[in-house]
Amino acid sequence: MELTTITLATLASLSRVIVLILISIVSGWFLSYFAVKNRRFENIYISFVNIFESIPVIGFLPIVLIIFITGLGGTLGVEIAADFLVFDAIVWNIWIGQYQAFKTIPQHLIEVSENYNFGWWGKMRHLYIPFSYPRISSDIFPSFADALFYIMVSEVFSVGITSYKVFGIGTLIVQATSAGDLNSVYECLGILALGVVVITIVFGDFSKHAVAKYGLNTPTEIKRHFVWRPHIRKWRTVASPTFQFARYTTKMKTGRENIQTAMTKVRTSPSFERSGKYIGRAIAWLFLIFIGYSSIHVILSIPHSQWLGYFEQTPNLLYQMGIDYIRVFVVTVVSFAFAISLGYYLANHKKMSSTITPVIQTISAFPAPAYFPLVFAAMAPFLIHNIPFAETEIFVMILCFLGTFYYVFFGFWVGVRAIPTEFLELVGNYKIGFFTKMRRIILPATFPYLVTGLSSTINSAWGGLAVGEYWPNIYQNQTLQVHTGMMKVISAGLANNDVGIAAWTSLLFAVVVGVYSIVFTRNLMDLARKKYVIEEGIYAA
Amino acid sequence: MSTQALNGSNETIGEVQLECKDLGYSYSGSSFIFKDINLKTYTDELVAIVGPSGTGKSTLLRVLGNLIPPTTGHVFLNGTEVKSPSPKISLVHQSIATFPWMTAVDNVKIVLRGKIEDKEATEIAKNMIGLVGLRGYEESYPKEMSGGMRQRIAIARALAASPTIMLMDEPFVHLDELTANSLRSEIYSIVFNPVNELKSVVLVSHNLHEVVQLADRVYVMGGSPAGIIDEIKIDLPRPRSEEEPLFYEYVKMLYKDLMPKETK
Ligand SMILES: Nc1ncnc2c1ncn2[C@@H]1O[C@H](COP(=O)(O)OP(=O)(O)OP(=O)(O)O)[C@@H](O)[C@H]1O
Ligand SMILES: [Mg+2]
Repeated sequence: MELTTITLATLASLSRVIVLILISIVSGWFLSYFAVKNRRFENIYISFVNIFESIPVIGFLPIVLIIFITGLGGTLGVEIAADFLVFDAIVWNIWIGQYQAFKTIPQHLIEVSENYNFGWWGKMRHLYIPFSYPRISSDIFPSFADALFYIMVSEVFSVGITSYKVFGIGTLIVQATSAGDLNSVYECLGILALGVVVITIVFGDFSKHAVAKYGLNTPTEIKRHFVWRPHIRKWRTVASPTFQFARYTTKMKTGRENIQTAMTKVRTSPSFERSGKYIGRAIAWLFLIFIGYSSIHVILSIPHSQWLGYFEQTPNLLYQMGIDYIRVFVVTVVSFAFAISLGYYLANHKKMSSTITPVIQTISAFPAPAYFPLVFAAMAPFLIHNIPFAETEIFVMILCFLGTFYYVFFGFWVGVRAIPTEFLELVGNYKIGFFTKMRRIILPATFPYLVTGLSSTINSAWGGLAVGEYWPNIYQNQTLQVHTGMMKVISAGLANNDVGIAAWTSLLFAVVVGVYSIVFTRNLMDLARKKYVIEEGIYAA
Repeated sequence: MSTQALNGSNETIGEVQLECKDLGYSYSGSSFIFKDINLKTYTDELVAIVGPSGTGKSTLLRVLGNLIPPTTGHVFLNGTEVKSPSPKISLVHQSIATFPWMTAVDNVKIVLRGKIEDKEATEIAKNMIGLVGLRGYEESYPKEMSGGMRQRIAIARALAASPTIMLMDEPFVHLDELTANSLRSEIYSIVFNPVNELKSVVLVSHNLHEVVQLADRVYVMGGSPAGIIDEIKIDLPRPRSEEEPLFYEYVKMLYKDLMPKETK
């Protein structure tokens, strides 16, 4: 393989990711701004985003690809499908983070900006956008990692014997791996690693700077030498008057409180509000129905005689779904435990954290599907020999973990760093015990970040299963597949040209997931965002 | 200095409680905020620190409590060097920090958890909340309270830890004058309550009237890097009244100290 080809392919894949992240951020600013300005839009927007945030659309990866490929045709279909999946994986987190940032801007800062006639763009530039940096920075990294994960697996896609692909590093790696051309695989991985490291460093600096400068009184020290110096100088002059003002104004109420009072003053009729919520939910349901409809559409194109078969298989399919839920649960628990222990350790060991964090970031951003076949090749003989019964299970779990742990890890880590200094000093001052500290302070303080992180982790775990439960030709002519699992039924169905079973299973999954997310995840998020906002604990920041 | 006359003798009441020697602090890499700070507090004494905004008073309090370790110098409590934070030296922050997900009682109880029985902790917490005048608000969340009420919760929390020294950073600034006044006298009666373990209070304040009202001794900080530029003993009988002519003498004296002038 030509080095130029590899470099171009890497650039192609990375640009897809970066462009999608940028689109998410920029669109998020506008949408969030309208949301905080217009009550009606806010209701629609928030219910919409909340529902989507809690639905693992990524779990529908195969069926989404099919829909786009049949709808738009080969290459274009794959391109749009890949972009769509990546966009879906990242956008909700970013949007909701921006919205929350906008929502928690202290009222006095908003008043300052209105007082001096900043104008719409001025307000955006001097106040709203800078205020959203810490949240964006906490979302941008896991989004990048997640996006890269899915771009790797959606650049190439096979239905039956036809394989659809777009130009990108994911495609090259798959081709090289299945051809057993290890040298090319290494080259690809090397160049991809280079790209990932560069982007990780840039994001890392942005994040550190954002938390230090735009966070409220966090212990992270403001670093003057930032890599993007020209920007920063601009930001500094632009933002510092307002932020200094924030720091030195002492008799102000916290933002949320004032916003709430301000909002109650805005006259809104309850029915107006409710209708907004309904519209948001309706749009979200429409989407689910669309997936459902597409599945049904596919099912209808199947001879009647096969239908009966699907119905008969339903209990078994539900059982397989249950098994997958257990897998997701295990991966989530492990990720959570990992995130809390490591995140806590790093938060307490500054020196360690400055060396380890970039390493973890690079590892987690380096998309597991790209190098996983090599892990498989290296480990398979050993595992088959020693634990033949759980061999595939272990692979699937590792893949899932690698593709998901960072969401909750970085969520927690950023959450810990966002805790205002006063609280940390309080913990030290009163020698609050480890258990009390974790249970009553650190976990509640990071709860909003944890819930978002967990929800993303869960969603990504589904995606990981979609990839890992059935992976034909993962290495040369070996196939990784689990014995029981709903995702395998879907993937294998598609690979064997049995689109009907894949569609029917996805439909069942959509129903379960829809109910689950609306009943459970959304409420958890609501609770986190209403009650556990540590920044509100500081009066006169 | 002209203050010498009013300072009176340097003899002290009781034993030394908190003491610091040649204390200096610089935020990593930058120059010293303050340097060569020496100060002492004695039993049953309320010591005030005044100084222009940005001189490093809040930083000094943090260093005294070892919440940030000193760059140079040492802090001693009853003759033992303080090397890590301890509830014996409790800091009440300038910006009020209460946990939004905890009720008033829980916010106070947090410093007792895991140390004594839950029931007892609740009891103490409720007493302290009563002491700062918030009886009836035990189950309220910070969001449902005004800034001044939250500050009182923070003070109650510090008291619940039964400290020897209490470091208070502008504790009354969020309160209305009436509440501030009653709380000032509360703080005062707590300090001089022999049953209490609290031995002395270090108070940072911009309000010179408050300082003269409360303090037994005042350290004036100034210069760059900041140092103690003056120490004034307030020799007024208690209860003190602003009507008294001498009261104003002290206020004026402090005022003069704080006026910008050439460093000596
Ligand atoms: N986290 C920090 N990093 C770097 N410098 C800091 C930090 N916090 C405070 N400073 C610097 O230390 C100096 C002293 O700050 P400090 O808050 O102690 O002042 P202060 O005397 O309490 O002021 P005020 O009366 O306004 O509360 C300030 O000039 C400030 O520039
Ligand atoms: Mg201060």
